[in-house]
Amino acid sequence: MRPFTYARPESAAAAVRAFMAAGAGAHYIAGGTSLYDLMKLDIEKPQHLIDVTTIRGLDAIETNGERLRFEALAPMSAVATDKVVLRDYPILAEALWKAASQQLRNMATVGGNLLQRTRCLYFRNGAGGTSVGNTYPCNKREPGSGCAAIGGLDRGQAVLGQSSSCTAVSPGDWPVALVALDAYVEVLGAGGSRAIPIAELYRLPGSTPNLEFTLQPGEMITAIVVPKTKAGRHSTYHKIRDRESYAFALASAAVALDMDGDTVTRARIGLGGVATKPWRATAAEALLAGKPLTPATALAAGHAAFADAKAGQHNGFKIELGARTVADALTIAAARNRS
Amino acid sequence: MTAPFPNRPRADAREKVMGAARYGADHQVAGLLYAMQVPATIAKGRIAALSIDAAMQVPGVVRVLTSSDFLPPPPATPGAPPPPATLTTDIAYRGQPVALVVAETLEAAIEGAEAIRPIYTVAPAFTSLIDQPGMVREAVKPVTAGDAMRAMARAVTRHKADYVSPPQHHNPIEMLSTTAIWENGQLTIYESTQSSSNTKGAVMRNMRLTPEQVTVKSPQIGGGFGQRGGAQRQTALVARAAMLLGRPVKLVLPRGQIFHNATFRPKNLHRIEIGADASGKMIAVRYDADQQQSREGQFPPDYHESVPMLYGIENYHGTAANLRIDTQAPGYMRSPTPHPSCFAFESAVDELALKLGVDPVAFRLRHRATTDPIHGHKLSSCYLSECLTEGARRFGWERRSLQPGSMTLPDGTQVGWGVASGAYPGSAHPNIVTLRVNADGTTRFAAAGHEMGQGIRSTIEQVLVRDLAIDPLKLEIAIGDTSVAPQHTTAGSWGTASVVPAAAEAAAKLNTAMAELLAGRQVAGNLHRQLATVRRPSLQVEVEHVAVDQGPKDLATLRKGGTALVGPDYSTFTTYSYIAHFVEVHVEPGTRRVRVPRVVSIADCGRVISPRTAESQVRGGVIWGIGAALREATEVDPRYGGWLNNDLADYVVPVNADIGSIDVGFIDRPDPLINALGAKGLGEVAMTGCAGAIANAIHHATGKRLREMPFRIEDLL
Repeated sequence: MRPFTYARPESAAAAVRAFMAAGAGAHYIAGGTSLYDLMKLDIEKPQHLIDVTTIRGLDAIETNGERLRFEALAPMSAVATDKVVLRDYPILAEALWKAASQQLRNMATVGGNLLQRTRCLYFRNGAGGTSVGNTYPCNKREPGSGCAAIGGLDRGQAVLGQSSSCTAVSPGDWPVALVALDAYVEVLGAGGSRAIPIAELYRLPGSTPNLEFTLQPGEMITAIVVPKTKAGRHSTYHKIRDRESYAFALASAAVALDMDGDTVTRARIGLGGVATKPWRATAAEALLAGKPLTPATALAAGHAAFADAKAGQHNGFKIELGARTVADALTIAAARNRS
Repeated sequence: MTAPFPNRPRADAREKVMGAARYGADHQVAGLLYAMQVPATIAKGRIAALSIDAAMQVPGVVRVLTSSDFLPPPPATPGAPPPPATLTTDIAYRGQPVALVVAETLEAAIEGAEAIRPIYTVAPAFTSLIDQPGMVREAVKPVTAGDAMRAMARAVTRHKADYVSPPQHHNPIEMLSTTAIWENGQLTIYESTQSSSNTKGAVMRNMRLTPEQVTVKSPQIGGGFGQRGGAQRQTALVARAAMLLGRPVKLVLPRGQIFHNATFRPKNLHRIEIGADASGKMIAVRYDADQQQSREGQFPPDYHESVPMLYGIENYHGTAANLRIDTQAPGYMRSPTPHPSCFAFESAVDELALKLGVDPVAFRLRHRATTDPIHGHKLSSCYLSECLTEGARRFGWERRSLQPGSMTLPDGTQVGWGVASGAYPGSAHPNIVTLRVNADGTTRFAAAGHEMGQGIRSTIEQVLVRDLAIDPLKLEIAIGDTSVAPQHTTAGSWGTASVVPAAAEAAAKLNTAMAELLAGRQVAGNLHRQLATVRRPSLQVEVEHVAVDQGPKDLATLRKGGTALVGPDYSTFTTYSYIAHFVEVHVEPGTRRVRVPRVVSIADCGRVISPRTAESQVRGGVIWGIGAALREATEVDPRYGGWLNNDLADYVVPVNADIGSIDVGFIDRPDPLINALGAKGLGEVAMTGCAGAIANAIHHATGKRLREMPFRIEDLL
């Protein structure tokens, strides 16, 4: 519990100005479902909160044009129940409604969701806040302090993209589906606006796991744009977890397929719950191109997706589980809209 | 014998749905101060220095209490456990409170708590797992019947295996909290506790107060589950703050602090050997049980209370031990030892039945228990066979194929059907109750008991409404309050059996008193109307009810706020409740998720007093069984101690989406000996055996025997 200033600008441009004027310690806040939690855990310590929720016209959902365009402040629950999204892009609808709980989805925004921080237990529970007496080293939280998850209870940790500094999983579902669909984000910053392919929004941990995103200071996500594709109809977000709701993925797969009869002409596969950033399984995609989808090819693609995976002490099961999750997702996606 | 009771709504259903039920932390009081504990950030050691300066500089902080603000521990009282420690400089476990910050607002209290950074002298080593150096094993007295060694030697078929249950935390939705008011030399505590009497006794002794100076009120509890059965450490801290400051103080513990300070179900290990004779009957059991324990903890490893009562096996040798390490004290958690022991034993029975090639229901039905082999008494009632038979009928058990892995759905999903039994001891305590019927239409019943959602008020209402011509909508049931009646801990499934017989006696006594008052006159209307007619404002009776084998000594113990329990082994009989669970699991072919689409559970709890709340109790027990078997475990990183997954996101309990149909049934036959209503306990037996049925169903589905809970996806890949 630390004091902070609070501003509520009325436009995106004013928000960016407020952020730049506030300087170090400034933080945007939208739905607050993640940031307040991290503040209570003594992980995020913003000095200036810039509340963007009252900015007008930043929550539109446009699905009629060439692209799907979701403005950043659209609630997760609103996008998940959009008619076009539900009909043509089950991959997106499922990624949203399988995340969090209905209450959280009503508050959380599709833009803020992209910046959710890891659920690594050592990251979350080790800051020594009053809720817990635990103090764990964590390079993401305190650069250079070490990583307690490596050699620790790492059942939930990543098997793809980890470094010797950090094995924390990128927690989201929504970004995984967007990565599979080649979405990009529009951002506004002090230097104007630009577009960033979603896959480039995220960094690998490397030796600087504290740096998670490629946004410049003051840059704010204003919209998410998804190129329309017929593959959306042959798509799913398949999420395997320790319980069937209100849990992060042990392994998930976002799959969208271009099909010609039973043959996959092009596959798009994203992986969640297993990697340090939303992961594109390009090797699995290449393996499937031009092949019929059968249980054997689906499982082979799943294994290809994890060919480079490395297990820790307790998370080795994620490699096989992840492969089978991909295989099941491919089967589900292929079975959709066979007409 | 009593007739079956009707299915009436829960007594406090409306209040609860309306959000009007008042729990411990809901009590509003003017001038309230807010407190926050500062948790120790080391696993073991001592505070070398603790500065309160930074905290005192936080605007709104009024005081920081440290160890020097507390009296030394009180002298020992024979027969009573010592009250919890207050603040000490010795740190026995991570998360132990080292200071209490009191402030005008909750925010200031938290900010003040975060500003305190004690300097510790860290112990050179600590032990946070039972298989680490520094663990001290301490055996307790074995439990035996017959000659298990000799009988095992002549057994024709034997099964021996190890089973494991992990550490688990209760996690009731309501947080632990205390509100303390010190006024005119009187201390009033509002706290959701299952034992207002224990709480009162502990605070009294820690603060050197007299019984007349302390009142504890616990009218509604948002889930007890055993976490609130003992006195809590925080109560005395908050009480001390209120006394030092002369203002009311409230503390609500954050979830992470509850994980680190509340009791928990310790990890426990079971080595079981069962022997069967040539006729395929179980004749011998050897059973060694070990449990995780804190250095000073007192939670007894009673792993042999239920298992010997299931099947009347004549030769039994059970050992048990505490494995002492550096942790906070473990304690009672729903179906404390019978949940893990019935999981382990009922898994072993399933394995033995399979070895013998016998259907697991038929195998259990060969063993009808009529006596308690440990104490040599008859069982007052045991309808486990009836539970098994009725459960099998409802479940459609005859359609089950014996061979594991033989039932699959078209998509390759493996289907498994499992069965297991459970039992739980039937205990009771005395109750000094007051019943007053008023001419204005109201009725008040005051007794020992605590409402933690199990429905104790509903059971009392059932009996009073059955026996008295009163207005049920204006019936007040005053319990959980040391100022309305002598209180006793409500736990161990003894609540209903310890209060409804007293309610029935009080009702009978009141009807007699009314008849005397009317002296033969015929007066129309209910009791309220009759009193109004004869111009009496009220009629009151008091009853001193004792359980079987009990007398004035037990009433005296109750009056002093002590523990006055009898059972389950009474002087001439033994009483247990029973249950049989039938579970269907589906195991996905690819990712191996385990789903539980349906459960049938049939319980023998004697006469069912409140069918509505009884069914709810069993459903809750089954859901917890599903949680325990498939999800719940609190994890320790031995390099740090403490609990790693200490919130509701990462300590995984089931959600609605994990629960399918749960069909609950009751034998509903009164126990002839335990009390006048024939009611045995229910809350805890509901959960016993459920995890075993799930383990057995998973084996039936997959052919894979899982012996360590929780059974997770990686165990079946």
